[in-house]
Amino acid sequence: MVPCTAPLWVVAAYRFPGQVWHLELLAPRRALYVLCAQKGVYCLSLDHLSRSTSQDDGDSEDSELPSFVIPVGPDACILPDASLCAFTVLEDTLVTLVQGPTQWKMQLFERPCPGEDPQPGGQIGEVELSTYAPPAGVPGKPADPRFLPVLCCVSPPASRVPHGQLWGPGSFTLKEALFGLLFGADATLLESPVILCGLPDGQLCSVALKVLVTSRSAPGDPKALVKILHHLEEPVIFIGALRTEPQAEEAAEETLPGEDVHSDCLVALGPYGRTLAIKASWDEAGNLVPELREYCLPGPVLCAACGGGGRVYHSTPSDLCMVDLARGGAPLDPTQPDEGPGGLPPLLCPASLSICSVVTLAVLSRAPEGGTELLALSAKGRLMICSLDLNSEAPGLSPVSRANTGQKIKELLSGIGNVSERVSFLKKAVDQRNKALTSLNEAMNVSCALLSSREGPKPISCTTTVGWSRLQLQDVLMATCLLENRSAFCLGQGWTLCIQVLTSSSALDLDSAGSATTYTIPVGQLSPGSQREVTLPLGPGENGTFDLPVTVSCTLFYSLREVVGRALAPSDSFEDPCVDEDPPDVLPEQEGICLPLSRHTVDLLQSLRFPGLAPPCTQAPPLRGPADPVDAFLEACREPGSQPGSQPAGPASLRAAYLPPSVACIKVSAELLRAALDDSHSGVPLCCATLQWLLAENAAVDVVRARALSSVQGVAPDGADVHLIVREVAVTDLCPAGAIQVVEIQVESSSLADVCRAHHAIIGRMQTMVRQQAAQGSSPPDLRVQYLRQIHANHETLLREVQMLRDRLCVEDEASSCTTAQRLLQVYKQLRSPSLILL
Amino acid sequence: MSHQTPPDSSCLDLWREKNDQLVRQVKVAQDSGLSLRRQQLAQDALEGLRELLCSLQGLPAAVAVLPLELTVTCNFIILKTSVAQGFTEDQTQDIQRGLERVLETQEQLGPRLERGLMELWDSVLHASSLLLDLLPALHRLAGLQAALWLSTDHLRDLALLLQTLNGSQSGSSEDLLLHLKTWSPPAEESDAPLTLQDARGLRDVLLTAFTYRQGQLGSSGLIPSLSLHEAASGLCPRPVLVQVYTALGTCLRKMGNPQRALVYLVEALKGGSALGPPLLEASRLYQQLGDTAAELESLELLVEALSVTHSSEAPQLLIEVELLLPRLDPALPLHCGTQSQAKHLLASRCLQTGRAEDAAEHYLDLLALLLDGSEPRFAPPPSPPGPCMPEVFLEAAAALIQAGRAQDALTVCEELLSRTSFLLPKMSQLWKGARKGTKGLPHCPLWVSATHLLQGQAWVQLGAQKEAVSEFSWCLELLFRSTPEDKEQGAASNCEQGCKSEVALQQLQAAALISRGLEWVACGQDTKALQDFLLSVQMCPGNRDASIHLLQTLRRLDRRDEATALWWRLEAQTKLPQKDTTWSLPLYLETCLSWIRPSDHETLLEEFRTSVLEPRGL
Repeated sequence: MVPCTAPLWVVAAYRFPGQVWHLELLAPRRALYVLCAQKGVYCLSLDHLSRSTSQDDGDSEDSELPSFVIPVGPDACILPDASLCAFTVLEDTLVTLVQGPTQWKMQLFERPCPGEDPQPGGQIGEVELSTYAPPAGVPGKPADPRFLPVLCCVSPPASRVPHGQLWGPGSFTLKEALFGLLFGADATLLESPVILCGLPDGQLCSVALKVLVTSRSAPGDPKALVKILHHLEEPVIFIGALRTEPQAEEAAEETLPGEDVHSDCLVALGPYGRTLAIKASWDEAGNLVPELREYCLPGPVLCAACGGGGRVYHSTPSDLCMVDLARGGAPLDPTQPDEGPGGLPPLLCPASLSICSVVTLAVLSRAPEGGTELLALSAKGRLMICSLDLNSEAPGLSPVSRANTGQKIKELLSGIGNVSERVSFLKKAVDQRNKALTSLNEAMNVSCALLSSREGPKPISCTTTVGWSRLQLQDVLMATCLLENRSAFCLGQGWTLCIQVLTSSSALDLDSAGSATTYTIPVGQLSPGSQREVTLPLGPGENGTFDLPVTVSCTLFYSLREVVGRALAPSDSFEDPCVDEDPPDVLPEQEGICLPLSRHTVDLLQSLRFPGLAPPCTQAPPLRGPADPVDAFLEACREPGSQPGSQPAGPASLRAAYLPPSVACIKVSAELLRAALDDSHSGVPLCCATLQWLLAENAAVDVVRARALSSVQGVAPDGADVHLIVREVAVTDLCPAGAIQVVEIQVESSSLADVCRAHHAIIGRMQTMVRQQAAQGSSPPDLRVQYLRQIHANHETLLREVQMLRDRLCVEDEASSCTTAQRLLQVYKQLRSPSLILL
Repeated sequence: MSHQTPPDSSCLDLWREKNDQLVRQVKVAQDSGLSLRRQQLAQDALEGLRELLCSLQGLPAAVAVLPLELTVTCNFIILKTSVAQGFTEDQTQDIQRGLERVLETQEQLGPRLERGLMELWDSVLHASSLLLDLLPALHRLAGLQAALWLSTDHLRDLALLLQTLNGSQSGSSEDLLLHLKTWSPPAEESDAPLTLQDARGLRDVLLTAFTYRQGQLGSSGLIPSLSLHEAASGLCPRPVLVQVYTALGTCLRKMGNPQRALVYLVEALKGGSALGPPLLEASRLYQQLGDTAAELESLELLVEALSVTHSSEAPQLLIEVELLLPRLDPALPLHCGTQSQAKHLLASRCLQTGRAEDAAEHYLDLLALLLDGSEPRFAPPPSPPGPCMPEVFLEAAAALIQAGRAQDALTVCEELLSRTSFLLPKMSQLWKGARKGTKGLPHCPLWVSATHLLQGQAWVQLGAQKEAVSEFSWCLELLFRSTPEDKEQGAASNCEQGCKSEVALQQLQAAALISRGLEWVACGQDTKALQDFLLSVQMCPGNRDASIHLLQTLRRLDRRDEATALWWRLEAQTKLPQKDTTWSLPLYLETCLSWIRPSDHETLLEEFRTSVLEPRGL
């Protein structure tokens, strides 16, 4: 390898309005054609540039880096089309490939010139190639394709057009036999150039240019125009041609300057290393038959190039490899007549050139000694000229002249540079893999620990508590999730804590479904014994309401993609479409491990506030929700009609007068409660113990305990008063054995919704308690069945009446419906204070 | 909802202004001849319309805005379809969205169930009787829906839609044309937002397209096609009219009404634009009438017309007739092919009608056009019905021989062989294979053998018997190695469209054998001739010419018994009902067979009849 020592100056830098997908330099016309993603084809004249810069050169002779960044504007765009995916330039035509809604379309344009002649030519021809499954993306805006199609132009050897002059760099000439075999007698007779097209779905197809004429008066039939040559079964990313036969007698004429080599082998490469080679050969009978071979090279392939002597160079992130398609040495079959061309080798052995991450590769003209020079651009941006001298493999010790010494040292230094780049790359890859393995191992340990501990406290837990705090002039109900790692393992990179907040559907609007919000918090590094706290708002929602109860579920998620994917992608230092961030087929469908931790329901009892209980010094201003429209209304109707003698009542008293609070009542047998609360609340009156139990998860429970309260006045999240009263009563007529001591829990609130929520919350606690008690096997006392039946019958009547009243409500006019509604409210009230007792 | 105040009326004006400006931009694009500039302008306008539609549909539907919204929807669909040159699933969704927006204002949308498009249309048209302002825009949208359904062959839905549009309850839904004709979209207000294409324009396009389809179906289309004339005459733009007249001409010709067809074609030619299709149709008509001179003249005019108008006519940025027709049907009178196709048609017709000199000239022109034309737009006939390139060469050679230009024919044949030499089996291999015997014989395309046959004929004309016989022998050598086509592969396989049949192979063999036999006869080597003729009769028993040549030779050799037996066979053959011999042989082969036809076979047979029957009489 010889470093490029010639000094280079940046003459100009262009900035295009989008990602550059492909460019072709048409040297004889000094024009640069560039395909910009989602924009179209731009054409820049280099003549114009050199003229302008030569003046500058004169002025700033000694400035070492004259860098002008020239933004490329829309006026340089010669072919605007957002769906353009590939193009190639021929003598006077521009061939493009367009991604239609369901098909690839090849279009032919008269080649528009830059600069002096801005008038662009028209479309000459068009043909649809093949159907494909359109990639998922926003309709109208096609998704960024991972693999772009490849176009190249193949000309027949006899073509009258002097090839290599007005053709783009992506074109080559095939020998007659292969050309005729691949493209047919028509293209051969017409001496028509052929466009070869490799599609991301693996198709390799060809279109003869002279036949591709589809004006509106003669539509082309794709079946007749497009010939499918092969299906590679992976995207085609490179098409090239090379000469595998030694140049014998023609060699003399063919080395004439300006003449190019007529290739006898066509090569196509896929990103995962699948390689196709096609040659023409004669079978035993003398018939011309295609010889097709598929090989598998080490992938992923970043780029490739065909060189002289039947060699194909292809670059992977870890190496630059060379394979030889020419059959080395003597023909394998000695009986084969010498005029028959040699076949393709059955196997390819890639030879390493020890250069990693080359993203673009070009073979320079053959060096005189028989070696080859490659121009390569590495992922890190190094532009290298690699000179391969294939003949002198054992240099040996030869006397080195002094003149050579400098050169030798340079070569060695450059070699060291290459090796160190390669070493650093490999080291990085190994490190990443080690890290990923360690992480995976820890993840396994954590998962096992969590999943195997069925009883007792989990080694990793997440507890949720609720509290109020004031944010931006608004009281907000906050949930605090505390993730504790009591296991012996570390939660490292790749773990995330997912907290899902699921609101119940609003009680007032039965149709609306509850909403779910998921918060994802990366855990970062959580070593054994440490903990992490996450606080998130539960309400009020956007419309100022609270949809209680709210369920908070915590889950640990381990992302395989994040940890393993990065290690498998060999390099993350450059963006190339070939290198997938997460290679397919390696990762399973599931992208991670999901471990549920806890589930917590936040109800009204937890979110009640008790301003009356707070110490006077820290008492918050009276909590009122957003101005209650009812209060406002009452206030308003008081003013005009207020009698001089009437008492000056505030809205509260008015409310009390006009809107008696809703009440709900739950009765529980004292015995049951005592049994349940005994262990934690011994020595405390049962009423107080019950209230403490109910408010156990509320922040105010300490005050309630300290003052031994049995009734408490609180404020619901939406600002309504909620009054909880616990008292002991005796129920006589239920049990034949005598009176039963019963604890009555009464909920009172001006807001019916809050009564419901509180009732729901209390019932929820009761259910849990009863279930626990039932598990312990306590038996209820004897009951008077007759009495129970009576109560049940009463309820039935009430329910029937409800049904009837609701039916009436639908059909009645306003006046009578008012009374019906009132009656309905009454019945509901009766229903809410049942005579049934939880025993 | 329905009584919502429109969003600030100035906003409405703004949107409207935006729509009008975009429509004007499309019109500018349409008029600018530069296709790339055009494409850019059209793309920009499309993007603009998309954005405008997004902002309109981002707000709740309101009655006051709906006419504009539907207009923008229609403009968007029209431009998108014409830029993409075809309808896609997207357009269906665009239409559906428009309909749902209308229903939203009527609070009739209900739950978003799976509603068919037709049901949506039903409810929308039902609701729109209340919204008179909406009608023009709705009819335009209906026109687009109709176009979409016509292009996707949903004729039943289409008929139902038109029936609903016309408000007619009765009548069979099948009579689509009647519905189309009776559909009269309401006139657009003069101050309405600008549109790319109004409902009447769409209806005219639909009428034309539908009649084409009808016309393609055959003679049943007579009455509808004729009524099309009235339907379209007043409103059709001139190019569409030319197309209509051409289609009518085709229709009438196929129905056996050539005189009336001619009238329409003349009308079409008066249209002045796109002369290709009517000229081609006229040539077909004259061919049917047997007026060869007129036929060839129209073909010559066609070639001329196509050579002049090679500026690529860009499609209009509108919904056009072509978009609604099944694609890629070269038989459609709208398509007249390329210049080279026309030239080939002219040349082959000349050859078929016995104008060999003209044919030869035209073929030479054609070859020059194909081989030397650096401009790729002169394409050979690519589609399967046309012959492939080697056949064009062979036809040219046959025409040259027919015109007495044997030397030129030889040149053409040599050119063909030299250009494809490397595709052919290696000759050394061929001989080796022959020596070794059975070890896999190389096969070679039929046209290679045919080339040798024609070369032989050229030598015959030049009087070089030795060369002729050797060419015929070559031809036969290759032919006996020809394998059935399905085993063929590689280079030659795509080139055998015209002569794939076993029949062609047989006839080619017979032709070569007879040709060589005739040469032997000319040298006086009757026994060798007899062998060839015998073989040819064996190879191709149905070939009468071979039998007659054999008969003549037998008589000349005075092998009376065999001759009599053969004659009896021939007699028996003539009495049999003639087998259907309508297979189409390649033109060059037909021509070649005509050269080796025995000239005086009737007298020969008559002589035989008397000579055979006389002894019986005795």
